[in-house]
Amino acid sequence: MNGKALYSCEDLSFAYGPGQPPALSIPSLRIEEGQCVALLGPNGSGKTTLLKLFNGLLPESGRGCACGGTLLFRGESLVRGGERFLPRSLRRDTIYMHQQPYVLSGGVARNMAFACGARGLSGRAAAETAREALRLVGLEALAGRRRRGLSGGEAQRLALARVIASGAGILLLDEPTAGVDAASRDRIAETLSMLARKGATIVFSTHEPEILGGVAGRIISFERGAIVGDVGR
Amino acid sequence: MAQAFELLFRGDAETWGIIGRSLAFSFFATIFSIIPGVPLGVLIAWKPGRGKRFAASFIHAISAVPTVVVGLFVYSFISRSGPLGFLGFLYAPAGVVLGQFFLATPLVISVTCAGLEALDPRFRETLETFGASPLRKLTATLREAKSAILASVVLAFGRVIGEVGVSTMLGGNIRNATRTMTTAIALDAARGEFERALSLGLVLLVIAVVINVAVSGLGHHER
Repeated sequence: MNGKALYSCEDLSFAYGPGQPPALSIPSLRIEEGQCVALLGPNGSGKTTLLKLFNGLLPESGRGCACGGTLLFRGESLVRGGERFLPRSLRRDTIYMHQQPYVLSGGVARNMAFACGARGLSGRAAAETAREALRLVGLEALAGRRRRGLSGGEAQRLALARVIASGAGILLLDEPTAGVDAASRDRIAETLSMLARKGATIVFSTHEPEILGGVAGRIISFERGAIVGDVGR
Repeated sequence: MAQAFELLFRGDAETWGIIGRSLAFSFFATIFSIIPGVPLGVLIAWKPGRGKRFAASFIHAISAVPTVVVGLFVYSFISRSGPLGFLGFLYAPAGVVLGQFFLATPLVISVTCAGLEALDPRFRETLETFGASPLRKLTATLREAKSAILASVVLAFGRVIGEVGVSTMLGGNIRNATRTMTTAIALDAARGEFERALSLGLVLLVIAVVINVAVSGLGHHER
């Protein structure tokens, strides 16, 4: 490990409520810039919690979450006094994709316009960025499709296209191939490989090491909120 | 009943005047109620912590306050000796619209807030992870919750078009000035003149059915 630390955790623990058992308990973890990391483990093993902590979606204000230990993003703490703290660069550089992404009403074009708009793009630049992102995930032919007309796999690929269009360099993806057909799964794996080759940092959770394990240079295994294996550091 | 239909279909000027006035008062009161109602509904829905529960419960409670209580409250402000007496709103159309505004606004806030809270939690996380600005968050949320917001407006209109307490107390049921469908029905029924009361009742019934179909349709669209 001689790269630049992107995320580092020390004695990180997280529970969704006071008195609840910790959803996550990590004595030490370091993820470097440019790594492609797969988080492997059964449901409820803490993968989603870690990805949301990395993106600053947790701990959620006013929800009574209990977060302890240290979680640093490029040396800046993301949790202060048990509350989340969002450095400006976190929102700009990182993006999280849900296991079952929320597709905004209004269809493919509106979703892409939203992603580009959040990045500050408009007009021709936004249209070109959206077109390129849709091409990468194989959805260029569906730019006019409404939300209701999208299959699960297409919605997943649309969410990945939004992530790409957002311009964030650190992608936090929660089971990006869950519940999609073989063609979509292969396309997503191919897209992630290409993004990783281009230098994006990708941290994704998966149940399918045989498909996405090949994309990752490092595989961290989770069980009941704890890390039980870390290969490829 | 036949005479009631006749009043409507032969275009009785007074009957249609009352209908038009009622619709106009309720329309303006509802439109004005959207201005503070929708943003406050969004604000309460988005506000984290305990204050949110209190605010939501309070708004929910006041949206169920009887119309005469709202009328009395507004009356105390716009009566001649009240702090806003100089405006001359009492027994004038503006007084009825103002009173109906206070009836409609809590309902708009309450239903908008409930609609936003019913949105998928992944929606808010999506807005957040994309780093959307507050304005972009607001516009995206209004668009995503448009069915709930429209339903709140339709329900608010339904509440004010059918109320009688505010219109009587603040409008005074003055012929050709502040007489609305509900106050006219109350007056005509008291006089034993049922033809116009029935014709206006039929119109209110049609409005109620249209509103229910609209709200039901909006709910279906949301699913």
